[in-house]
Amino acid sequence: MILLSKQLIDDLDKPGGLQRALQKAIELEHATLPTYLYSLYSLSDDNAEIAGLVLEVIMEEMLHFAVACNTLNAVGGSPDIDKPGFIPSYPGHLPGGVDSSLCVHLRRFSLEHVHNTFMSIEEPEDPLHFPVAMAAVDHVTIGEYYTRIENKIAELGEGIFTGDPALQVLGGFSPDELFPITGVTSAKKGIELIRQQGEGTTTSPVDPEKELAHYYKFAEIWHGRHLVAVPNPPPGTPDDQKYRYDGPVIPFDPAKVLPVVDDPKASKYPATSQAHFLNDNFNYAYTSLLKALHLTFNGQPNRLDSAIAIMHSMRELAMEMMNVPFENCENAGPSFEYQPVNK
Amino acid sequence: MSYLNSLRLHFFGQFQAAVSTVNNDPLHFNNAKFDPAYQKMETATHANGWWNPRGDANWRMIGCNITSAWLSDGQPAAVSDPVLTYLIADSDRSVAAKLVDLDPAQQGVSEIWGMEVRIADASGNTLMRAKYETAGFMDIFLRWPGGSGDGSAGAMYQSVLTDIKWGQIDKSRFLQQLQQASSEGLLSIKFNVDAFDANYLSPTFTLGRVAGTIGPATAAEPQHFVIGRHFMMTGLPSQGFFIPAGNVNFCEAVVDGKAGKIYLDLGNSLPTQSFGGPFTNIGALSIACATVDASGDTHMLPLGEVDYDYLAPKWYEKTAGVVALPHDRALTADELNTVAANPLVIRLGPVQPWQEPSAVWESPNGLYVRADKFVFRLNPGEDAEIHLYGSQYGQPYAGARVICYLDASGIGGGPPVGVPEDVLEFPRSVVLNEFGQAKVQVSARNPGNPRGYIDGQVYGIRCVLEDTLAPAVQYPFNPSEFVSLLVWDEFTADPPVWWGCLQPVFQQYANLYPLMQRFVDLSSYDSVTNPDNVVPLTITFGLDANDPNAMPVTRDLSGGKRSAILQWLATPGPDGKPLLGTPPVPPPAALEAVAAPAPAPFDPKSLGKVAFYKRVKAARQMRRKQ
Repeated sequence: MILLSKQLIDDLDKPGGLQRALQKAIELEHATLPTYLYSLYSLSDDNAEIAGLVLEVIMEEMLHFAVACNTLNAVGGSPDIDKPGFIPSYPGHLPGGVDSSLCVHLRRFSLEHVHNTFMSIEEPEDPLHFPVAMAAVDHVTIGEYYTRIENKIAELGEGIFTGDPALQVLGGFSPDELFPITGVTSAKKGIELIRQQGEGTTTSPVDPEKELAHYYKFAEIWHGRHLVAVPNPPPGTPDDQKYRYDGPVIPFDPAKVLPVVDDPKASKYPATSQAHFLNDNFNYAYTSLLKALHLTFNGQPNRLDSAIAIMHSMRELAMEMMNVPFENCENAGPSFEYQPVNK
Repeated sequence: MSYLNSLRLHFFGQFQAAVSTVNNDPLHFNNAKFDPAYQKMETATHANGWWNPRGDANWRMIGCNITSAWLSDGQPAAVSDPVLTYLIADSDRSVAAKLVDLDPAQQGVSEIWGMEVRIADASGNTLMRAKYETAGFMDIFLRWPGGSGDGSAGAMYQSVLTDIKWGQIDKSRFLQQLQQASSEGLLSIKFNVDAFDANYLSPTFTLGRVAGTIGPATAAEPQHFVIGRHFMMTGLPSQGFFIPAGNVNFCEAVVDGKAGKIYLDLGNSLPTQSFGGPFTNIGALSIACATVDASGDTHMLPLGEVDYDYLAPKWYEKTAGVVALPHDRALTADELNTVAANPLVIRLGPVQPWQEPSAVWESPNGLYVRADKFVFRLNPGEDAEIHLYGSQYGQPYAGARVICYLDASGIGGGPPVGVPEDVLEFPRSVVLNEFGQAKVQVSARNPGNPRGYIDGQVYGIRCVLEDTLAPAVQYPFNPSEFVSLLVWDEFTADPPVWWGCLQPVFQQYANLYPLMQRFVDLSSYDSVTNPDNVVPLTITFGLDANDPNAMPVTRDLSGGKRSAILQWLATPGPDGKPLLGTPPVPPPAALEAVAAPAPAPFDPKSLGKVAFYKRVKAARQMRRKQ
């Protein structure tokens, strides 16, 4: 489970604390993307079903990112996305994470990586089937963090919604999921959506749209079977026995995962190598994505489609790169570093 | 004014052209005979889908450092001017620009679509951002005579930058001057490309060398060539790229009377010793003006020397091939008067003592006419406006007659091109106005699907000054200088359905662009109509072609088919999905069973632009025989 520093909560009560908390939430939602994307890219076309599941999570993380940005804009803040420090260094902790928290890597896809990293990132405070991982005193979970933000919004009330409604970004996703944040009610609805899509509810692994929460999607991959509802459970059946991982098999062929290097860095690719060039090209596209998102959430909402197009193009760039041998029988992989010019 | 100006910057670096190659062979357009092997990389024995079947058509400017800058008074920018630390970069907020052929039968004018050009500092801060007006390359030639394949070619792009936005330029005197000179909202850009690496096993695969120039522009001038002095070449016999007889490819100069300078652009004109290597020694290079005295003797008035500078290390990097002559003085009034009425000559001293010097001449009588925009895509009922500029010794050639005629000599490959001829209606001659300009209106009607499996038809129109046609003039026409037009077939469908209507259209894209498979299987009704795909397809098929994210990437979808696709996606049937229609008989499976032709052994270096030019020449010879 990801544990965040309690200072983040304490900061909420200081002037500008809500804005800072929402900016941190934006950074947090983004920070999971490189690690998910890196594994996704390494899945060749032969592992299409798993790739599809990972991609679904990624798209919802993008949605959460958008909701957090809309909320920050609604309370008069400005998402700050286009800056080198926006991107975590891998391996490392997620933004706001405490030292004892999970160390996140860029790694090729493996079931162990799904279990040890992806499921940990998405682990709910009180996952069904599992006991609470640890009692947090100096730490808070991501879910708790969002709850505190939600409470703070309720506490501050409608008066904080001073942002320009024209800054709200609405394209690219279903209107049920990405809607204008204009007041306490819509802000709470947005945060609830983030929490439920990420973690499910305390009684069910599915969110109100009947989609599996991220944690359980990754658990399906780990178990190699889809999670299905037990038909006609008798009254009084405990929540953790209403579903079982005995649906259709989710095939995984480890031999069809591209053998890419762990935690690549631009500085490790020799200057004249093809890997160096392809990494630069990828990082330039990735930085362009951040810049496009920054513009999108700072007054140019029409750029959202352009940002989504960049994200699609990154997959092709990455997969081309992941077929290039690097060293020790491993292939190159994109390093997800800030690169605003293609030198 | 243009990039060929005292006020200019030069840049040097690399470009990426990750074109898709499946659509380079016209036969691959035939759905009925499409072999899945055409989507695979070439091998030592099979051409398959050529050298980059998974190409995404991306065009990128990479590491293009500004290498020198010149102020409006002809002096170099101060060493401390930060512009000398900046780069020419492409967009940092959209997908890459796209490099696209007009048609498999016209691969000699590949255009860059959706490019943003930036001047950026090393940290990525943007000092200038502008849109590159879509333009194709021109003047392709055999740059490296010792080489073969596309890596041996050189060509150039010239266009304008529009929608210019300036950043913090207060520290750069050069950029302040450039901003002042762009008061009409335009800048002129020209860049030379060569040494393209089409070897998929190479670490520099899809990269090439680029050297270019940016300077001012005005709205009154052409966007894609320079009004000036044009040096014309005859070609040596060639089965591939154009080989200039005098070692120097077509080039131009501008005489700046005020500054007393001649700006000569040799950037896309000099041969190289090797792939992307230094220039070949073709002798001490100078420029002169040729006069003929009363007794008929020719005299050369020397006007400046490049000498052997072009062989010096970093010369090309720092100049992009542009020189201001004479170096050390201004031309006198007498010299300028002589130059205004007599041809310029590029003189080449002997490389070896026993050799004769040679020369490359300005066009006979200084005459020149050219169409500005030279690539058009038309739907039936649409018009193209060819904007002609004629000049004599760089001045408007008012009142001259320009002859316009269909000319398919520069296009071809696959089914016959340029027919039926009556599809295009245009005046066969026009007269240049007082500014030396004329507009030729070309109206297109439905070609009626003359090529079967390739939509529409490709035509070439050549416009030449009547005064250059007399055999005695011996005018060396530039084979690249003609207007290329793709006229799409009419397409109507009411209502559009999948089977027998849009399926063949989508199937062809699925065949020719395997890259799309990862996002959407265009050959599958279920995939195309998946709700997750309908929205992005609707958006991207609805985008303006100048948007780098527009579909199809190849910009070869007719207006009729585009409307039908958008209508189809937007009008679901009772089942909530776009209309399926009735499967044709025989079912598609039977069509797929048609045996593919046995692949013939081939030379990998024979694929690419060079293959296109070979096909054009073969088609021309075939027409002559007929």
